[in-house]
Amino acid sequence: MPPLSSESLLIGWLLLPFSAAFLAALVPPLARWLALACCLATAAVAAAIQAGALPASLHLLGPYGVVLQPDALAAPFLLLDALVCGAVVLDGWRRPMPGPFLLLLMVLHGGLASAFVAVDLISLYVTLEVVGISAFLLILITRSERCLWLALRYLLISNTVMTLYLIGAAVIYLEQGSFRLEAVATAGAAALSLLLVGLLTKAGLFLSGLWLPRTHAEAPAEVSALLSGVVVAAGIVPLLRLSVAVPTLATVLPTIGLASAGLGLLFALVEADAKRLLAWSTLSQMGLVLLVPAAGGLYALGHGLAKSALFLVARRFPGRDLAGWAGRTLPAGVLVTLWICSLSIEGVPPLLGYVAKSNLDRILPGPTGLLLSLLSVGTAAVFARLWSAPLQPSAPLPDAAAQPEPAWSPGVLLLLAALVLLGAGEAIRGWSPSLGPSAAKAALVLAAGMGLHRLLQPLRRRDWFRLPDLEAFPDLIGGIGVVGAGLLVWVR
Amino acid sequence: MEAFRLLELLILVAVLVGFVGLLLRRNLFLKVLAMDVIGSAVVALFVLVAARSGLQSPILAAPVAAESAMATLPLADPIPQAVILTAIVIGLSIQALLLVVITRLSRVDPSLDLGSFEMGSFETRGRR
Repeated sequence: MPPLSSESLLIGWLLLPFSAAFLAALVPPLARWLALACCLATAAVAAAIQAGALPASLHLLGPYGVVLQPDALAAPFLLLDALVCGAVVLDGWRRPMPGPFLLLLMVLHGGLASAFVAVDLISLYVTLEVVGISAFLLILITRSERCLWLALRYLLISNTVMTLYLIGAAVIYLEQGSFRLEAVATAGAAALSLLLVGLLTKAGLFLSGLWLPRTHAEAPAEVSALLSGVVVAAGIVPLLRLSVAVPTLATVLPTIGLASAGLGLLFALVEADAKRLLAWSTLSQMGLVLLVPAAGGLYALGHGLAKSALFLVARRFPGRDLAGWAGRTLPAGVLVTLWICSLSIEGVPPLLGYVAKSNLDRILPGPTGLLLSLLSVGTAAVFARLWSAPLQPSAPLPDAAAQPEPAWSPGVLLLLAALVLLGAGEAIRGWSPSLGPSAAKAALVLAAGMGLHRLLQPLRRRDWFRLPDLEAFPDLIGGIGVVGAGLLVWVR
Repeated sequence: MEAFRLLELLILVAVLVGFVGLLLRRNLFLKVLAMDVIGSAVVALFVLVAARSGLQSPILAAPVAAESAMATLPLADPIPQAVILTAIVIGLSIQALLLVVITRLSRVDPSLDLGSFEMGSFETRGRR
């Protein structure tokens, strides 16, 4: 192999975040620049994949070795990884980062990048565990008692399901003699459902994802942005790959996705807390990513960028209670971000979310497409609750010493720019006369969502208007058990 | 019953016991221990999978003549063993991290009961 072939570049890129994290531990002042360099490298790899400059798959060390697949499915996720991590680094550029935050961020970044390109069960296991451990340490970063408990809960559940996943992998090796994803295609129901339960829980989907809202809502803002933006995608990518490779899953996974979308939406509509509303919406949107593997990457990219920007500005919300939301003013940097991101998630042109949603619309058959529109109406109603806050008048501050922080964080700006530019770029590239009707449809969905919001608003004051709390620890384990048992019966 | 099936069944029982323990135990320490029971069962499963073809270590110490007794012994499968080594290390480090967090949490409630950590209990404790 020549020293600078695309293979060695690829391996160097995968190793870069880990060696950068090591270097950052030795030379802390370099940490920010190293983290940015890792993000730039990942973005460059994503661009190279899109341009077709990299081999579609890379076999290391013979038939039992590791196979990496930097293919078109992985490209949007890699770009998402780069942009979200980069935005979090830029967002905290002026603030002192607590403890080993940047070091952990780099490890998380590297783990995610490897998880997106790995296509054998064991490499996936290792990378998902790396992602899980670094996310656990990131949640712990403030060391408050509640974060201790949440981090413990997160790692306990994540490790339990990954152990179940490993059992599935062992059974597949027993049956097929290989750990490749292709070997899963002919696997039995038991092995398949064990693998799926692990990945579905990691991705925060349906009943097995009930751990997600509390963890994402209570973690520090930067960590929430990482978790909701890109960490959930670590479970989604293998699911999408399985959905393509295993014919029996072609109906199972989209159905679970739709169920997850419905569940998340229902809870988000009733929720009284702003950050928890965002987290429930993540659970719902991740379900939609699972609907069509071909359109999933772009959808996850649109959602991840918007959601991590929303979580980054959630740090500056005056309060999290939605009941008094309309009475509190928000600074322009927060309010505009809120509008752009939520409009993108709802699929309003020319933002990236619109391109993703219209892709999904084009592929899906009639009834599912209709269901998707209904879900979009619900999503619009969810975000309509955040729009009622008035704009803060930009009065000059009484004294310059109390200057808290700039109105616009560079990280959030990066995410917004990506949403608008990528969306506009894709819209121009795929320009077609159907743009008019679909824009009209987006407006119709938005109006219907506002109507639904108006309809629900008076009900929220009633005592009976609430859903059961399903987030106690036994419920989470029970949810995993129910999903596992259901899959065992369903998957044949 | 065939020995392989019997051992497989025992491992399945261990996994189920661990899962039930994780679901029903109120004590956080016991929950982590239950998770470890599942982890140990998985290690046993991989060792079993590796041993299905034979017990001899697949290591070539010296050139063996084809007709000697060593050459005809069935070999164990090295792949699952190599894989589970990684998983054991990961499991151990996660166990260590969880136990550190539990030590910190024991300051909140020394009895480590689940109820004192669920949502809302942190505030009520503060108000009391």
